Amino acid sequence: MLEFLINWFANVPVTAAPYALAALGLIISERSGVLNLTAEGLMLVGALAGIGAYLTLGGHPVVALLIAMSAASIVSLLFAGLVVVLRVNQVIGGLAIVFFCQGLTGLIGVSAHWTNRPIAGLGKLTLWPLSEIPGIGRILFEQDAVIYATVLIFFAVNFILRKTMMGLKLRAVGENPAAADAAGLRVSLYRAGAIVAGSSLIGLAGGYISVASVKLWVTGMTGGRGWIAVALVVFARWAPWPALAGALLFGCIEEVVPRIAAVGIRVPQYLVLMTPYLATIAVMIWVGASERGASGMPGALGLPHVREERR
Amino acid sequence: MPGPHRRHFGRLTLDMRQHLSPWKQLGFLAASFVIGIAISVAVLDIAGIAPPTLLDELAGTLNADSLRAVLVQAAPLVLVGLGASLAFSIGFWNLGLEGQMVFGGIAAAGISIYAIGPEPARIVIMGFAAAAGGLAWVLLAVWLKLRFRVNEIVATLLLNYVAMYFLFHLLYGAWQDAKTAFPQSTPLRPFERLPDIEAGVNSGLAIAAVSVVLVGWLVRVSRIGFYMRFIGANPGMAKVIGIPTRAVTIGVVAASGAAAGLAAFVNIAGQEGRLTQSFFNGYLFSGVLIAFLSRNDPFAVAIVGFLVAVLYLTGQTLQVFYQIPFTIVQLIQAIIVIAVASSEFFIRHRIRWTR
Repeated sequence: MLEFLINWFANVPVTAAPYALAALGLIISERSGVLNLTAEGLMLVGALAGIGAYLTLGGHPVVALLIAMSAASIVSLLFAGLVVVLRVNQVIGGLAIVFFCQGLTGLIGVSAHWTNRPIAGLGKLTLWPLSEIPGIGRILFEQDAVIYATVLIFFAVNFILRKTMMGLKLRAVGENPAAADAAGLRVSLYRAGAIVAGSSLIGLAGGYISVASVKLWVTGMTGGRGWIAVALVVFARWAPWPALAGALLFGCIEEVVPRIAAVGIRVPQYLVLMTPYLATIAVMIWVGASERGASGMPGALGLPHVREERR
Repeated sequence: MPGPHRRHFGRLTLDMRQHLSPWKQLGFLAASFVIGIAISVAVLDIAGIAPPTLLDELAGTLNADSLRAVLVQAAPLVLVGLGASLAFSIGFWNLGLEGQMVFGGIAAAGISIYAIGPEPARIVIMGFAAAAGGLAWVLLAVWLKLRFRVNEIVATLLLNYVAMYFLFHLLYGAWQDAKTAFPQSTPLRPFERLPDIEAGVNSGLAIAAVSVVLVGWLVRVSRIGFYMRFIGANPGMAKVIGIPTRAVTIGVVAASGAAAGLAAFVNIAGQEGRLTQSFFNGYLFSGVLIAFLSRNDPFAVAIVGFLVAVLYLTGQTLQVFYQIPFTIVQLIQAIIVIAVASSEFFIRHRIRWTR
């Protein structure tokens, strides 16, 4: 039983990290008032760019992940241009980007022959002697570098959002862009910056799936994880730490189901694959049912700021 | 001269346009559409289809056979387009069109597999079952939204995956065709297929055409259409002045799901002839694109649906003869949406250079 628990929990971070990083990227963008549905698409871009960089640049996983981040940021400039500069409806703009990325990655993945080519990918770091602690050692101190980096990134983003002037201004732009504009903040710049910065984390999430977790590219491999990240942001009420907790919860759920099947309890395979989506819906119901007063949603989420229409 | 005004050589200013004549709006729309097509042609060029080849292939579709194939493909596209436009026009983001198609398809195939109803009426029962399947699946999302305030964008998208895995569960299990061992159901019997209205064009086209007229009547003539315009413009106000917002929303979104279910029926009882694991692929975004480009107008949906069908057929040709992945169709659709969405900015704003 203990063995089962250790095996289970040791695998949770790998499943949880992409959810956590993507949700954090979305939180940065949405705190500036931009409703961001692009995660599913940008994760695919990150995943493909990561594999592509790994295969063509000599197999350096860290380089591959950095390129995954940059690629997602570059594509997100298109989204920023649409919703910040051209004020396109943020739902339509986000969806268009997702489908754009799905089409683009599908095309490039096949044309460049990057599909179904297994790689060695990112290895685990063993933090000896901490890894020798029975039980906890394997769960906490035998993970890959991105897992440790994720924890640091959460500390950093949380600090920036809450304790720095830049974070305060970013949140002001998301709560009341007209007032922020009147106070001299450059609303468009903050929003575009938040989209691009957040998207680099979404790209890292995608790159992590292909380079460190699955170690392979197949068309559409994110399989709805981006949408789950969107739901996670609502669940976390736009705050970083609850998003991390939610990601770990999802990691636990996703990792336990195949293990139950492995122990010998017969569960139909394809019904098992539904669990992450059903769990997400269940969590959304719980959020909706327990909502009391303030939901933590940024005041101007989804509304374009048009200075000429300011009242 | 140094100083704060040194770089004063004018700047761009934006004015809100109060009004722009419909013809000019159409002009902007057409211009952006052409730009989108131009970018798509460039992408195809990079992918290995030179513009002359593309032109040849397009010219090759200008014959009766290809026209028939386009009409067959247009029927389900118009139906999902109607489904999307109905829901979007009242501000309900139904992004579960594929999941609703899946359950529409499962319901229709189920009627065939369990041989429910007399043979002559079977095809009609299948049609109604498909509509009911799509309707039931979208009502789940409506219920989640109205009862628990679950955002319908996320709920409908996630329910697509649930529906897809349920379909796989059936097709790799109980409903698998024992003869071929492929993940597809046994073929429909001849009387369970949509009859042709003309050689090579099945009656799915007639179903789509009747649906366009019915939805056109609903949104343009009927009282419900009047309510829908109010809810789409300002749901809070609509409620205050006594419009039955809740009932209209439930009804219209249910019709949206039913249209998606009918699209599945047209696909399965028409082109496919059986339940397959991919009959719904790509219809979500095509539905969104059709609704968006037609601005939720049912008659424009018919025209745009036809154009998207041409794109599908061209994509299939490129896939078969030039090994270009079919995802290129999705990419081109996304490029066109991005181009057209950008044009709205120029419709609503005037950009001037002021000194």
